[in-house]
Amino acid sequence: MKTQLLPFIVLVFSIGLFSCNDQCKETRITRRLTPLTRSLTDLRNSVKSETKHELVRPGKIYTKGNYLFINEIKEGIHVVDNSDPANPRFVSFIVIPGNGDIAVRNNILYADSFSDLVALDISDPENAKEVSRVENVFRSGQFDGVGWALLNNTGGPVISIQDYTVDYVTETVTTNCEENWAGNGGWFWNDMLSSKASFSSSGSASSSAQTNGQAGSMARFALYDKYLYTVEQNNMHLFNISNPAQPGDFKTVTTNFNIETIFPYQNKLFLGTTTGMLIFDNANPAEPKQLSAFQHGRACDPVVVHNDIAYVTLRTGSACPGTANQMDLVDVSDATAPKLIKTYQMENPHGLSINFPTLFLCEGDKGLKVFDVKDKMTIDQHLLSFYKDMDAYDVISLGSNLMLIGKDGFYQYDASDPKNLRLLSKIPVKKAVP
Amino acid sequence: MKIFLTLLLIMLSLSFVMAQETPFKKKYINHTELGALVGRVKYAQGGPDDRVESKVSITAQTFNGIQMSPRLGVGVTVGADWYKTALITPIAAGIRYDLPSRGTARFFALADAGYGFTWLHQDSDGFDTKGGLMINPGIGLRAGKPGASSVTISLTYKRQEAFVKKPAYYTQIKRDEDRVYNRIAIRLGISF
Repeated sequence: MKTQLLPFIVLVFSIGLFSCNDQCKETRITRRLTPLTRSLTDLRNSVKSETKHELVRPGKIYTKGNYLFINEIKEGIHVVDNSDPANPRFVSFIVIPGNGDIAVRNNILYADSFSDLVALDISDPENAKEVSRVENVFRSGQFDGVGWALLNNTGGPVISIQDYTVDYVTETVTTNCEENWAGNGGWFWNDMLSSKASFSSSGSASSSAQTNGQAGSMARFALYDKYLYTVEQNNMHLFNISNPAQPGDFKTVTTNFNIETIFPYQNKLFLGTTTGMLIFDNANPAEPKQLSAFQHGRACDPVVVHNDIAYVTLRTGSACPGTANQMDLVDVSDATAPKLIKTYQMENPHGLSINFPTLFLCEGDKGLKVFDVKDKMTIDQHLLSFYKDMDAYDVISLGSNLMLIGKDGFYQYDASDPKNLRLLSKIPVKKAVP
Repeated sequence: MKIFLTLLLIMLSLSFVMAQETPFKKKYINHTELGALVGRVKYAQGGPDDRVESKVSITAQTFNGIQMSPRLGVGVTVGADWYKTALITPIAAGIRYDLPSRGTARFFALADAGYGFTWLHQDSDGFDTKGGLMINPGIGLRAGKPGASSVTISLTYKRQEAFVKKPAYYTQIKRDEDRVYNRIAIRLGISF
């Protein structure tokens, strides 16, 4: 018995030692880009109003009066009749190639279309009409991290743009079972510059006799006085819209920062950049002047402002670099010298919205938090409610109506009791990307 | 190898001496081991050519149970395995079975099966490691008088699964990894 067992054991373990290999398979879903040259003439001719479409990849959201405008990333705008928040009704779809941002003044809707700014008359929301266009004002841009740029190689007239078609490829590779940070050519992040579904509340600065819609803290468009402000990379463009139907390219302000968002508050402009928050004095709307920069590490940073306090969220995760998951309260009463009041640790904060004294904060797939922020030093002790069974990407609060977007849809709540939100309606998203 | 043969000879010579039968009584048993998980990995990252690396991790575990019969012990094994990028805490059902043999050095079979948790693990930023199923069967040699405490050496095969979510690179929207640690475990221990 023993003499048979021992050689057997030796044999088994020899084979075992030889063949004991760790097996690690890394599965990656990669976005593959195929270059595509698109004619500007074709793009410019394709703006039109169509019957309603389904939500596939919703982007930014803009509300004006009873209407809700939901950007379909790079494709156009869904027009939704939201006069009954319990029963929002899709009215039409405006095809605008390369659209990511929206602003509405009176009955004119401004939208970007790759390199152009388009003005549409939406007095009949079912049948929007292009009324004018400012050509070639935006040199380049990004949608979900995929860039496009004007092609201007010979110095002649610009007739096309460089775009990319996107498809998703799943690949499996064997790894050495370690964390391999830098295996794939660089330390970039997926969609830090993306215009994913996002919107937040905004103290949209409306001047007298003009009616503007509500944009979010992730918006790149802002209306103030007789100007439309747009941000693109390190530039801020001003368009003169004293005649709303005829926007004119007015001015470009250049900064050293990569601007992601613009948030007008009183006579200031708060620009969210990848490295901090910029404050511009906008007392003379034609001449915005940089007052200060509140710097933080590289991070995604939606900003909202109320009563001289800026609420800045920073987050990490697959979409954003940096190491902080937190909300900073910044005293901006002296806009030339913003001061950090207090930092609150969060889980993974995304968009936020304030309806003082209630603050709605999205925690991504962790849910939605509702805070009472009356006492700025003890916000963490005043968590009114925490809804965990939802994916909250961004939120906007308009009076008692709360709009929330997550990965699976667009929700509207009655928030008259912040401790107990009541679901009014849900628009599901037809998922297109994994 | 020489040690094995020597041990075997000792065992054979002693087998004639041992003949005493004592009435069996269930009792608490403990078997605590410390050792190494050895193996290697062959991978082809970033190119067509395979690379091979050797891997050694430290492992510690303690089995606590009841001697159910003169040969069979049944209990629970709790351990800790320090893999390169994962500290896994397996909790498993275990058996220790003395193979028919006599003398002061006796073979025994041992097997643990359970789930490896990552409670004690800390992730690098952006990573999320989850544990998985674990099996660990093998054979050992026990030196010491029957019924008294003994010193053990064991050779087992250990398979530990894990799953890791990783931060995605620039063009990726998702990156995760299924891990299977296939190792030979060489452990020294004491049993009482």
